[in-house]
Amino acid sequence: MKNNSPFHRAASPREIPRREFLWRSGGGLGGLALAAMLGQDNALADELRMSGKPHHPAKAKRVVQFFMAGAASHIDLFDHKPELIKRHGQPSDFGEPVEAFQNGLGPWLKPVWDFKPYGQCGKMLSAAVAPLGAVADDVAFIHNMVGKSGVHSAATLLQATGFQLPGFPGAGCWVSYGLGSMNDNLPTFVVLPDHRGFGSNGVKNWDSAFIPSQHSGTIIYPGSDTPIADLFPHKSGSYLTTQGEVEAQQLMAELNHEHAASRAGDQRLDARIRSYELAAKMQLTAPEALSLKAEPEHALRLYGLERGPQTWPKEINAEEESFYFAQKCLAARRLLERGVRFVQVWSGNDNGFPRRNWDSHEDVQRDHGPLAMGMARGASAFIQDLKQRGLLEDTIILWTTEFGRMPSSQGGKGRDHNPYVFTNWLCGGGIKGGITHGESDQWGYKPLDRTKPTQVYDIHATLLHQLGIDHTQLTYRHNGIDRRLTDVHGQVIKAILS
Amino acid sequence: MRLRLRSLRRMALAASLALASHPLPAAVTFEHDIRPIFEAKCAKCHGADKQKSGYRLDVKSIALTGGDEHAPNIVPGKSAESPLIKFVTSQEDDVKMPPKDERLSPAEIGALKAWIDEGAVWPETSSVSVRDPLDWWSLTPLSNPAPPLNAPNPIDAFIGAKLAEKGLKPSAPADPRTLIRRLYFDLIGLPPTPEDVLAFENECRKGSSFLIRDAALETLVDRLLASPRYGERWARHWLDLVHYGDTHGYDKDKQRPNAWPYRDYVIRALNDNKPYARFVQEQIAGDALFPNTADGIEALGFIAAGPWDYIGHAEVSETKTDGKIARHLDRDDMAANTMGTFCSITVHCAQCHNHKFDPISQEDYYSLQAVFAALDRTDRKYYRDPDINARFQDLQLRQRDAEVAIAAIDDPLKVKAGEKYLTLSRSIDGASKAAANNQPNASPDYGYHSAITMQQDASKWVQVDLGRRVEIGTVTLLPCFDDFNKIGAGFGFPLRFKIEASDDPEFKTGVTQFWRRHDETFMADFKNPGLKPFSTSGAKDDGIAGRYVRVTATRLAERKGDFILALAELQVFDLAGKNVALGMPVSALDSIEAPPRWRKTNLTDGLAPAAPSADEKSELINQRDALLLSLADENVKSKRTALLSEAESIGVELKKLPKPNIVYAGGIHTGSGSFVGTGAKGGKPRPIFLLSRGQVTQPLKEVGPGALSALSFEPARFTLPPDHSEAQRRATLANWITAEQNPLAWRSIVNRVWQYHFGRGLVESSNDFGHNGAMPSHPELLDWMARDFRDGGGSLKRLHKLILMSTTYRQASASNPAAEKMDANNALLWRQNRRKLDAEAVRDSVLAVSGKLDLTMGGAGWQDFVIEHPEHSPHYQYDLANPEDSKTWRRSIYRFIVRSQTQPWMTSLDCADPSIRVDKRNESLSALQALALLNNGFILTQSRHFAERVQSEASDLSKQIIRAHTLALGHEPSDVDLKKLLAFAKSNGLPSLCRVLLNLNEFTFAD
Repeated sequence: MKNNSPFHRAASPREIPRREFLWRSGGGLGGLALAAMLGQDNALADELRMSGKPHHPAKAKRVVQFFMAGAASHIDLFDHKPELIKRHGQPSDFGEPVEAFQNGLGPWLKPVWDFKPYGQCGKMLSAAVAPLGAVADDVAFIHNMVGKSGVHSAATLLQATGFQLPGFPGAGCWVSYGLGSMNDNLPTFVVLPDHRGFGSNGVKNWDSAFIPSQHSGTIIYPGSDTPIADLFPHKSGSYLTTQGEVEAQQLMAELNHEHAASRAGDQRLDARIRSYELAAKMQLTAPEALSLKAEPEHALRLYGLERGPQTWPKEINAEEESFYFAQKCLAARRLLERGVRFVQVWSGNDNGFPRRNWDSHEDVQRDHGPLAMGMARGASAFIQDLKQRGLLEDTIILWTTEFGRMPSSQGGKGRDHNPYVFTNWLCGGGIKGGITHGESDQWGYKPLDRTKPTQVYDIHATLLHQLGIDHTQLTYRHNGIDRRLTDVHGQVIKAILS
Repeated sequence: MRLRLRSLRRMALAASLALASHPLPAAVTFEHDIRPIFEAKCAKCHGADKQKSGYRLDVKSIALTGGDEHAPNIVPGKSAESPLIKFVTSQEDDVKMPPKDERLSPAEIGALKAWIDEGAVWPETSSVSVRDPLDWWSLTPLSNPAPPLNAPNPIDAFIGAKLAEKGLKPSAPADPRTLIRRLYFDLIGLPPTPEDVLAFENECRKGSSFLIRDAALETLVDRLLASPRYGERWARHWLDLVHYGDTHGYDKDKQRPNAWPYRDYVIRALNDNKPYARFVQEQIAGDALFPNTADGIEALGFIAAGPWDYIGHAEVSETKTDGKIARHLDRDDMAANTMGTFCSITVHCAQCHNHKFDPISQEDYYSLQAVFAALDRTDRKYYRDPDINARFQDLQLRQRDAEVAIAAIDDPLKVKAGEKYLTLSRSIDGASKAAANNQPNASPDYGYHSAITMQQDASKWVQVDLGRRVEIGTVTLLPCFDDFNKIGAGFGFPLRFKIEASDDPEFKTGVTQFWRRHDETFMADFKNPGLKPFSTSGAKDDGIAGRYVRVTATRLAERKGDFILALAELQVFDLAGKNVALGMPVSALDSIEAPPRWRKTNLTDGLAPAAPSADEKSELINQRDALLLSLADENVKSKRTALLSEAESIGVELKKLPKPNIVYAGGIHTGSGSFVGTGAKGGKPRPIFLLSRGQVTQPLKEVGPGALSALSFEPARFTLPPDHSEAQRRATLANWITAEQNPLAWRSIVNRVWQYHFGRGLVESSNDFGHNGAMPSHPELLDWMARDFRDGGGSLKRLHKLILMSTTYRQASASNPAAEKMDANNALLWRQNRRKLDAEAVRDSVLAVSGKLDLTMGGAGWQDFVIEHPEHSPHYQYDLANPEDSKTWRRSIYRFIVRSQTQPWMTSLDCADPSIRVDKRNESLSALQALALLNNGFILTQSRHFAERVQSEASDLSKQIIRAHTLALGHEPSDVDLKKLLAFAKSNGLPSLCRVLLNLNEFTFAD
């Protein structure tokens, strides 16, 4: 039994992963099998029970991932580079030939905003993200992140799924698969996309690929009429009534039970009956979970949401960005409180024109300005809110993006892609605050120590570690390989753990 | 310490005796001195648990011969040449071993050196024995087992024998009603009509009970296999395997409007019962092996079926690392798709190192990449009419040959002609001096010219004040002609630029930018446009307006070692098509005011050089040809003339052909910009290198085309003549895969068919027959079927029939506790498996029972989404589609499959992800799936149509309910159930009741 868990190590040929085994075996395992089919169980807990081999105690239960689509500039937001300010306007010289996506290797371009120190730790942050100064002492910055590709799609996939090509489960899917749900009326893994639409690769960044589909990210649009697809009947179902829905549930349950009774031993039939009960529960819970109306005035003010939606100018602007990002942050907090395990919050749409994301080839100030302010206000409020509620202790927050941007200018005011170095930051869930781990070089072009970069595998390994999972042990066999979120890489970054 | 002293002593001894004439007992022994070192310092990464770089130091053969690119790591007798010693002594971070843990002591290093110098003597008894990776069931030739003699159908004989071995008995046959429903879903993916059920029941009636009669079953199976619905159902299985989609995936996720002919090919091939070997061969090399057939081209859609990184190709050239990665991954997909689909083997695992479990070397893997090295995913033209197609293929080939031959003559001549040639070429691209001078206003008024800069990336702008806010239709830029610098047409036209409108002359607020709609990839650099105008329009929904229109160059044109922005004319057309910029004031970041030739006002003076006429252009071409010919000798001249006229006549002939068909397939791509393909080089395969750790930046050695060296019926590296065509590589692989002696291909396909009929393969991991996969539950049956299938002409329909007529297949699916205890997974098939219907079967069944299913076959896929922002990154908005759109009521196989935004409703029902090769669908149940089936517009709309249908077919409510129940579930409701249904329908209406029926477990499962 023990080797059939999703945590098997170097499984031998004839073993079936535990969930698949439970799915197939039907009878004899009762509620355990049923729960596994619905993704409701706690696989790690079961594993501990069955094998007596704990990975290690978890420091965190929940994850929130902020994802900046289009590639946010580390240099203009978090990674202070005095040398760049000094050399502003001088021809850029990287000391080696550089391959840039659009060959944007103009003169050195200083950060668009001024930096100043924040918190006890004195972390230098840009004016564009000033609101994050309030939580600087809670955050661990990593400035030596290195990617593998300067192409948006591949880079986004790498940060979201650990692989550069589509077809791999998102990080949240792995967490859902490994740890199961903490609720029975909401999804385990929720995605809050940018209000304008998806980033590169669309749903491939969070769908479950070869892992069963109940571990996919569920898309939720807070504040919209249909926040979850198909939660309530489509308008073509005008013939339905509230009372009729209750009767329909009853009738289906009766007929289904009757059908299952003559087919003893097939747990799927019971699981499906149960799934309709859960659906009805979700219909009751989700609207309440996503309604911001219940939030007290002071909470709304913390997030800057007290005025509600406004009529915004057509051009990208900080007020509108703040509203939408904060709305997602507040919804995320409410979902976490109700037992959602993994929430992914996106800022920025695909790589279109006019810019609707962080891909500031032409003008960093124009796009990064409003996006960064919106993100910083929402994220700062979110972190403060979690802290006040005692949720920050066991909620790990990761801020990430596709890659960084070049210290040289492109067309005077923009920056080209920089997959050679960028910034991530983490906080909560047992992460040490007020520290910086891993530096970039004087330009923010590559890691200061090029032999010891940090990679997404390390970030993911650390996330899983804080959740109590050894990243090398959480596997799923697909087309001949025991796949992991961290591929064959990954080191837990001990230096940022408290 | 003891070891150290002893070792040192022995080293000294060894040194002093090095020249001894007769062998002495080894001074250092493996067992005492070396093994402990390996175990203490190396085994963690190079032992039983882990074998980094495929290397381990507990197995003699691997220790002495392995080590990937460093192999052999140990050179007996030569410690100085042994990489192992280099690793343990190095201080470099990237080289040293162990990398993190405690290093070897000097004494240990000394002992190792001594042991190697003494010949690295390693007794066999001190080695862990490892299994021979070649000794594996799937790689052995097909055996020829005789079926046990206990049943007429060999399948039942094999299955029955195994059951008997375990003391298990097969289950009783299913009743006719269950069996016909199972067969329908299995073979055609649709439910039987109540009339079909009744007829079959009647044929099987025996007094008051039923007996499945062979003749009745055979008629039914034959009828279903002959139905065109069969190909539609089974093509879906195949498209899952090959991860077919109608968009590229990745960033932007552009559509593939010509992918569907491959989908239709698969349906047709299955319906026509095309021999399997040919089916395989066509998909890999149909163009080479079956020239002149439409199938031979359309089948190549297989090679292009998977996702494709558009940006990684179209915007990043093959010379950049990211471009190399994109193309490497592209070939990886082709190789993995081919070997995974046809051979059930996981070659992609050998990309970074030799396969960890199976005998697939990295060289095998890259030799498979080499088979596809000339290809890209591209549109291929062809004709369904074989005669026209033959002519077309021939002309295309001759055209390519002629072009290559002309290029071979011209290239050296161009070099000789030097600058003269380049100048003429520029003129041909745009204009001639004559064209400029022929202007009515033979203008010295060239245009606007910025100040000169040494920075190509300096940002320069120039703008016009329209005097008032204008709704803008189109903006046109006209390039300059300059003969002064001998740069000619397109002088100063920026390589990259943007156009914006605003009411703010400073362009600080209210700026809207124009889409660069002309090329989709707004980021690509521009070619010098010559004198051709550049036009761009505001996106309709953007509603671009403003008083000022500004052109900003972000990458300047080169003059002679420095950079400028120059433009002849800026035209801004309002929605009525009037140039409102004419004569309006111009301002700029900077300007060279050198009237009359250069000044800001020239930008809106209505004067610009015209593009050359066709006559002028052909005259220029003649001039250039003459220039080249003047440098050639007579022989070359006449050869070139002949080739040119040949090319011209081919062009004329091609134009005479009707409009060709197009399929998106693997092929030779001829493109421009970053995505050039291999067409310009006559389809010559790109060189393929074995990549260290799969890194494109670390090529080790070039490899030629080949297949798996683990199978030795033919040489693994193809022996092709040096001048072979790329298609020959594919043809050779296709023949290798379909060879009679290739056990993988035949086992693979019969196992897949078995899996789709029983819900579980004889080998459970149907895409992986390697050591990491499952073992066959019935190896003899598998081999017997594989052989029978192969020798019977590879007829899939014959194989289906054999399986479907077996009593094993006919069994009931009910469980029994005793058997369950013995074999919970039903691996031995003591019953049939109850199957949850897949997404397509659910959807098609809903349409079938509602009476709305449109059985139109083939053609472009139907779309149940609205595309927003098609000009850049299409947003596929499923929620905006109208569920009443009857175009979407065709079978699911004809759905337009988007990769980045998979259809949410189908996805919730575990539809295959078109980004991955799916050998078996996942099965899940969740609240979200229940919600999708309850509330989606599709279900709610079809429930109403279902109700309307039964209302038109039956008179009163009770009869209507009975009819609906029978249509959906294949039988009438019991009296008790009918009462419940009737009560519900009375208070909630028939549509609501129909929705309940479509949501029942019984609708979703087939017994």
